[in-house]
Amino acid sequence: MAEQKEPQEKSIGTITRRSMLKGTVALGAAAMTGSWALNMAAPGRAEAAPKKLPDSWDETWDVVIVGSGFAGMAAAAEAAGAGAKTVILEKMPTYGGNSIINGGVYAAWDSQFHYRQNLNLGDDSPELHAEDTIKGGDYYNLPDLVQVVAKGAAPALDWMISEGGARVRPTVTRAGGHSAYRTHTGVAGVGREFTDALRRIAEKRGAAIALNSEVTWIWRRDAYPQSPVLGLEVKRGRRTLNIRADRAVILASGGFSWDIKMRLAHNPRMVESFNCTNQPGATGEMIRFAQAVGADTLHMNFIQLYPFAEPKTGILDTPAVYPFNGPGYGIIYVSKAGKRFVNELERRDVCAFAQIHLGPDAKPTWSIFNEAMVLKMGGSNEEVAAGIEKGRFIKADTIAELAGKLNIPAAALQETVAKHNQYIDGGKDADFNKPMTKAMIPLAEGPFYGLAQWPAVHHTMGGIRIDDRARVIDIFGNPIPSLFAAGEVTGGVHGSNRLGSNAIPDAVSFGRVAGTNGAKAKTEA
Amino acid sequence: MSSGSRFGDWATAGVLALMAFAAAGVMNSAGEQSEPRHATATPAPMTCGSCHTDYDGLLAEDHPKISGDTVGACLDCHPTDRASRSARNLLSARLHPAHLPPKGDLDCEHCHTWRAAEHFGLAGVTDDNRGAPTAEDMQWMRAGMLTWVGSGFLDHLHARAGIGCADCHGRRLPPAETTLTNEQCLACHGPLEKLVERSTPSDFADRNPHQSHLGEIACTVCHKAHMASSVYCLGCHRNFEMTIPGGQ
Repeated sequence: MAEQKEPQEKSIGTITRRSMLKGTVALGAAAMTGSWALNMAAPGRAEAAPKKLPDSWDETWDVVIVGSGFAGMAAAAEAAGAGAKTVILEKMPTYGGNSIINGGVYAAWDSQFHYRQNLNLGDDSPELHAEDTIKGGDYYNLPDLVQVVAKGAAPALDWMISEGGARVRPTVTRAGGHSAYRTHTGVAGVGREFTDALRRIAEKRGAAIALNSEVTWIWRRDAYPQSPVLGLEVKRGRRTLNIRADRAVILASGGFSWDIKMRLAHNPRMVESFNCTNQPGATGEMIRFAQAVGADTLHMNFIQLYPFAEPKTGILDTPAVYPFNGPGYGIIYVSKAGKRFVNELERRDVCAFAQIHLGPDAKPTWSIFNEAMVLKMGGSNEEVAAGIEKGRFIKADTIAELAGKLNIPAAALQETVAKHNQYIDGGKDADFNKPMTKAMIPLAEGPFYGLAQWPAVHHTMGGIRIDDRARVIDIFGNPIPSLFAAGEVTGGVHGSNRLGSNAIPDAVSFGRVAGTNGAKAKTEA
Repeated sequence: MSSGSRFGDWATAGVLALMAFAAAGVMNSAGEQSEPRHATATPAPMTCGSCHTDYDGLLAEDHPKISGDTVGACLDCHPTDRASRSARNLLSARLHPAHLPPKGDLDCEHCHTWRAAEHFGLAGVTDDNRGAPTAEDMQWMRAGMLTWVGSGFLDHLHARAGIGCADCHGRRLPPAETTLTNEQCLACHGPLEKLVERSTPSDFADRNPHQSHLGEIACTVCHKAHMASSVYCLGCHRNFEMTIPGGQ
């Protein structure tokens, strides 16, 4: 191929403008024979080999959805509810993706229970939710998309409760970056509360779930704006199948936190040595396949680290939520040297890079708290006891004893704690200018606890470009017919930084939009 | 001519290793080196008498005298493993390990007649029809039979406990891509509550692989019959110390 001999453009796992144009021209001609499939992958890559459209289809559905998390399940429920013969393809052997292991917190301005109003926790509105979300994303968010989430969150929550049997705890909390008490928590304390509810609705309405079914290509004839996506190539066991979608393909395949190459291509700070909170399936190949049939992407460099993951494995277990919930009540983060290194009330990106900038041997850092904080920050004594048993929480009666157990110089930790206690008293943090409040508890009385923490790659804010109808937009600005996307695989909702508890309302609201619109679409034969 | 072409293109390392062993020739029951009999792409079906002049050395002293020259002679007393679920001393569990690698060096079509998608039966036994496997089905059955006879996988652990094909797959020949349901596994290993009880770790009760935060999942997520099993939990919980029978 001539392209291979030309000086290589800087191609980093995505399509370059030049290869895109060449691909379009070449395949535009080939399309006249009616047998080649659109493939805009970078020339010279294995993926760029010309592919023939399938002569026949092994399966035909109305709506084919890729991914079985919040977005995919919600899309399936709506598509099946609209009468479409619907299947969800899940490449993993279990359903739920990252959603089923997510923290189960859900931001919505209201619900059928009106907890915020009944508990006198102030005012809220979809407009305020949208405003907070955009501010938290440094104003990079696409406002049209944010509106869909802010407006869709409450009805979607009620839908999961009424039709899917989801249960929520009888309270709402104010989470980082949110200006109102709007974060609802599932009773299960994990995302499974909502994935199970969505699955019940989807299956009741007739949607099918096919596990162990990995998409390996998106079939589209050419890049003309009127040319629809036709179906998918799918690897199931040792077989390769071609699956036709008569109405729509909906991409709900999640983020790319585990695709190290894609991470580095867009954000060189997201190096391989980082752990990752995600399940192993979060590898983002659907983004590449979408690009290869013309889809645009945005915000790919905005990748969120969770600052407090378990240091050895990177998982976000129950103890790992404590450092996130603790700062408002006086939790402090200290280095191995026993010194604070950040304003603990800072957002996730700041807390994460403050640790990384401590140097190459700084892992892990520690959260220090005491018993008086546990219940206030939403923890439980049972969780703490279980965490101690597993060696996650380290308990001691004095700060000096705790320092010894954590292998931190005792004098340094004692000095840090004493200083921070004074800051709480005086209402001013002379070291990091943390906005001190009266709700903060000094580390005066034991028992004291230490918890090891280290940043791990957590959420990819960027992804496939969609419009407010969940239609995938191509690089020329046109919607690709019969191709929709929802959830973490898309970009633009969260801007540079996703607020905690905004992921589920995003995925469910846009999943519903994609399912509803996908069921109305029609691909030509 | 290597044996590979006849065995087809199933590229599992274990199977290839077994094939290499078969191609190198193996010891026969008398302890002598026998020549590999892999001269043709499709072996002509043979009868027992093609190789065995008598059966005295192979059978227990009190075994009745065998009359006849085909496996059909055995069927009067020994059930085939489709005939009876969980019957002991199955003919299949006797004959396959004796004739397939690593102990033997034969292939399916030495003793079975097969026409793709039409017929599968015992050579030399009139009207014996056991199904109509396709070429793909046959590939799967060959591979599965070989690992059942000799591998570190779960199928061989079952074989050592006298569990034959039909015990999991039922009386019909299993088609390609067969996956067992949880109910089939639990028929012997259940009920689930008991299984959960048995697998509760003594240190951390909430790390029970049979009652996880993923809800009810397929047994086959971790337990693979004809390939290496693996603990799915370890995909995220990399620091858990968990092992699995038939794992690598």
